[in-house]
Amino acid sequence: MKPKPFSQLSSKPKRLLEKKKYREALSALLLISLAAGLNIVFGYFAMFFAFYLSFFKWDYIGPMEFVGLKNYEVIVKDIIRGLSGAFYTFAPFYTGLRNILLYTAIVVPVQTILAIILAVFANQKIKGVQFYKVAYFLPAVTCPVIVALIFIWLFMKNGFINYMIQFIAPGFAPDWINDKNYLLYAIALVAIWGTSGHFMVSFLAALQSIPRDVYEAAMLDGAGPFRRFIYITLPLLRPMIVYVVVMGLIGALQMFDLAWVMAGSSGGPGGAGYTIALDIYNEAFIKLRPGVAAAKSVFLFFLIFITTYVFQKKYRVLPR
Amino acid sequence: MNPRVRKRLWVIATYVVLSFFAFIYLVPFIRSFIASFMTWEQASAYPPQWIPNPFTLINYVKLFRLELFPRWILNTAIYAGIIVAGNIVLTSMAGYAFARLSFPGRDALFSALLALLMVPAFITLVPNYIIIYRLGLIDNILGLALLGIANVSSIFLMRQYFLSLPQEVFDAARLDGCGPVKAYFYIALPLAKPALGAVAVYQFLGAWNAFLGPLIFLRSPENFTLPVGLSFAFARTMWTEYTPIIAGSLVAAAPTILLFIVLNKYLIRGIAITAGKG
Repeated sequence: MKPKPFSQLSSKPKRLLEKKKYREALSALLLISLAAGLNIVFGYFAMFFAFYLSFFKWDYIGPMEFVGLKNYEVIVKDIIRGLSGAFYTFAPFYTGLRNILLYTAIVVPVQTILAIILAVFANQKIKGVQFYKVAYFLPAVTCPVIVALIFIWLFMKNGFINYMIQFIAPGFAPDWINDKNYLLYAIALVAIWGTSGHFMVSFLAALQSIPRDVYEAAMLDGAGPFRRFIYITLPLLRPMIVYVVVMGLIGALQMFDLAWVMAGSSGGPGGAGYTIALDIYNEAFIKLRPGVAAAKSVFLFFLIFITTYVFQKKYRVLPR
Repeated sequence: MNPRVRKRLWVIATYVVLSFFAFIYLVPFIRSFIASFMTWEQASAYPPQWIPNPFTLINYVKLFRLELFPRWILNTAIYAGIIVAGNIVLTSMAGYAFARLSFPGRDALFSALLALLMVPAFITLVPNYIIIYRLGLIDNILGLALLGIANVSSIFLMRQYFLSLPQEVFDAARLDGCGPVKAYFYIALPLAKPALGAVAVYQFLGAWNAFLGPLIFLRSPENFTLPVGLSFAFARTMWTEYTPIIAGSLVAAAPTILLFIVLNKYLIRGIAITAGKG
């Protein structure tokens, strides 16, 4: 005789089962409550409160005053002023927006491509390869503030970087940190140096999951290393490339630490190192206009959301 | 060309490329380490010099003349300690429940938490400042730590780890009449050491290097953590010589660098695992 399924058993064990289920759910709730609660408050509640706050004028202490879209008007006017060529101090948000878009357009592609190149070379089965992985990853575990402090010194007019550059491009020796034409590029270089190793490790993991026989088949067909890379490695890496670009976009669009140290909170010479993130900080904690800061952070949120969404839509699938 | 020669050439080319990049990634560390034992005159000389002459510890001496420097080290260690301890306790509990217990709304709640990974930190900044302010915890390391003791990626890592354990272990415990909470303490936790270690290391690195949070939630210099303290102490306007700054940077980065060098195999693998599934 086959044993009866649980549901057909007499009512007593069934009730026992239900009691057990109830107990399990209760214990789960107990175990989860703190972690979930903190994330709901500091994540979701905070996010919705930011949207709410963006319609109010406030000074942290007095009563909140509903102002409709006034805070967003501040942003729009700022951008219009910036577009019509106002001095950067009169259009801080526009300055930050322009800088961060340029910065992101440089950093995200370069760090992704560099990470792929590093991963492909570090994935060879040759002696001492662990040493190279450690070397590439070391900047990623070092505090960005400290990295920036060290690079200020390396980027000085008579510093080490200009010394190295003169072997490649003699006579090219800008005063990176103090020249408004080079500051943003200096920050971008530091960011690329600091994060490419981190993403290299992601690509290493993806490379190691590609089965060997795919390559062996291609080799039998006479495909050389370059063609194998283009026709096998790159397509198989695509989900990871999408993931790395999305993470890179989220990081780059809200870049703060490096700009704070290398350019200062007001953005350095000519506002060349000013970012939206710095502007939100100044708005919230220097000018004490949390409503405007919230509106600006909502803008940044949608900027990030739209760019990452469009990118994922175009190249599909998040790796799972 | 003879295939063996070709292979040889390929290997040599690989080493050349690998070494070129290793130079780029390592030289800032090596250069600052050497310069921290130089006088500023020598460290700023052009072309760059590589051997400290005279060899001097004056930069480290000057650094510790900054009265608050040891205090910042202590604060950073306390902050990192709270974050690590909080994450180990809270996220292992949550990860276990998400992986091994069933309750209504489990998957929806988990996806909702995971979605927070895609939410930029800046949108929650002002509201969280207000919450912490209302709790009276501004300028208090505890208030700052409250924001980070249940990190979503730690929950994710713990859950993945508990999912990878064989179901039989938990079934056996259940048959022996071990309830879900008891099973967490006696079965899940002892088995979770590798995942707990990974969470501890990542959270330590994150907390030690954190800047934005400490900058906003800590207000008085004696409560600063190292990154905030250094960024103010070495504000651009105060430079006369830069070598003590380099020395300070190295001291502040030393714990993370040493930790990474000791655990490098384990860390690179661990990040690869989380990255692949993030």
